[in-house]
Amino acid sequence: MPRTLLGTRIRENRRSKKISQAALAKSAGISASYLNLIEHNRRGIGGKTLLALARVLEIDPRELTEGADQALIDRVNQSAASTPSINCETSRTEEFIARFPGFARLIGRQFEQSAAQGETLQAMSDQMNNDPFFSEAMHLMLSNITTIKSTAEILSDDQTLPDTLKGKFLNNLLDEANRLAQTAEDILQHFEPSPENNTQTSDNATAEALLEQHDFYIDDLEKNGTSAQVYMDTLSIPDEEQPETLKTLERYTEITKMLPIQAFLPIAQKLQFNPIALSQDLNIPLTLILKRLAHMPRADDIPRFGIMECDGSGAVIFRKKLPTLSLPRFSGACPLWPIYRSLSQPYQPIKAFINTPTGERFLTYSLAQYDEPNAIGMPARASAVMAFTPDYDMLLTKPQIASQPNLAVGLQCPVCPRDNCAARRSKYLLQ
Amino acid sequence: MAKSVLLVEDEPFIIEALSFLLTREGLNVSAFMDGDGCVEHIQKTNPDLIVLDMMLPNKSGMQILEELRAIEGFADLPVLMLTAKGQKKDRTAAEEAGVSLFMTKPFSNKEIIRNIHTLLSA
Repeated sequence: MPRTLLGTRIRENRRSKKISQAALAKSAGISASYLNLIEHNRRGIGGKTLLALARVLEIDPRELTEGADQALIDRVNQSAASTPSINCETSRTEEFIARFPGFARLIGRQFEQSAAQGETLQAMSDQMNNDPFFSEAMHLMLSNITTIKSTAEILSDDQTLPDTLKGKFLNNLLDEANRLAQTAEDILQHFEPSPENNTQTSDNATAEALLEQHDFYIDDLEKNGTSAQVYMDTLSIPDEEQPETLKTLERYTEITKMLPIQAFLPIAQKLQFNPIALSQDLNIPLTLILKRLAHMPRADDIPRFGIMECDGSGAVIFRKKLPTLSLPRFSGACPLWPIYRSLSQPYQPIKAFINTPTGERFLTYSLAQYDEPNAIGMPARASAVMAFTPDYDMLLTKPQIASQPNLAVGLQCPVCPRDNCAARRSKYLLQ
Repeated sequence: MAKSVLLVEDEPFIIEALSFLLTREGLNVSAFMDGDGCVEHIQKTNPDLIVLDMMLPNKSGMQILEELRAIEGFADLPVLMLTAKGQKKDRTAAEEAGVSLFMTKPFSNKEIIRNIHTLLSA
């Protein structure tokens, strides 16, 4: 602890206890002028004098000698950095903490609370933006409102309506109002905190958020050859989240090592980003090509690829969603998705168009494989990858697109309105 | 002879309300509630205008529009697309696919009637 702050701390303690410099000096058995030098940080002290001063000030000597808690310094500095326009005197943070420890702790506490609330808000915002249930519910509500508005306008504008028609429209109005109320109730229930719908973050939520922030393409890892560990060290990742984040970043750097973007991009452009052609031309496993395509720079002449990886149970282990196709984080998606079909036929690539109930269309490439050689007595560990793109017209010609079969799929059963689906495992919540 | 309007919509009460409104305007109104078979139905019935919902079971309104525009004789058929998805990208996609007019739900009766008349007289 720098000597400078020891004197400051003694002075602040003395003042807070309303003791004069002369009185403190006398009680501690030193001269007032010496105490003055100490308080202005011009003399160092220790041993007997320090103990005497602490005794008179009725505080633990360690409160005078030990520096401010580094975590508190960090929090106060972070708080200052969060509003740079105020220009806080961060070069004097330690002095501030020494002089006003209570206020410093208050700032630290408030910064922590504010950061925690910010994270909660972000998580809620993510849920609102990416929740297929919410999106579907909003769509249904707007349809309900349209019917109600249009029917109410008819009833209000046309006073000459025959009673039979009036009765029919009133019944429609009531039915639609009931549906609207039910939809609203479903939404409330969906967002009600309960053990069933507790959306705790997955192990790799931080890594996923980090990749999303960079649109799944990190220049430092791509072009500068920075290692995953070195890159992660430049970030403020909480200790407990570092192992999973590192694992995800290392998975990314494996891709960049095997298929450096500078070499890959021209070939991909030449082969119109066709994953199967790229796999054959480069003699690289298709799964790696699919992963590379999900980590590409953003440009108009590069198709957008999302990706989903699952283990043999269908659980999602990695995902890159696209604005037009949300992917489940915790549970399985629609069982009709080609990625699940690929699990039943490992090493056979599946190319298929999927249509979602919201009218979006994607070209998908899926492949399942065994992750490790089968150990004696142990089941094989399979995993599957599915890359998908809405920019299929950059990969295929119009006749090729027209000749591809379309597969009507959903996102998840509770938000899928498709009738008579043999694969349905739970009812559509918004009926 | 009265002009014909085909409502491609899967919400029965919206169909009832629009049918009433457009019939009152002297138009012949019919409806089709599924994406599947819709293009074939349009080819068979050859309406003067289509009110097409974006979200339909089995095939989206956007796909129907794309398929329709590729068929000879249907490139200029007036199509008014209705959707609860009012995002700019949806509007742009519909325009690129050849929609005549794009309206978001909820709409006002007067507005949709006015737009339908405008499209029919164009």
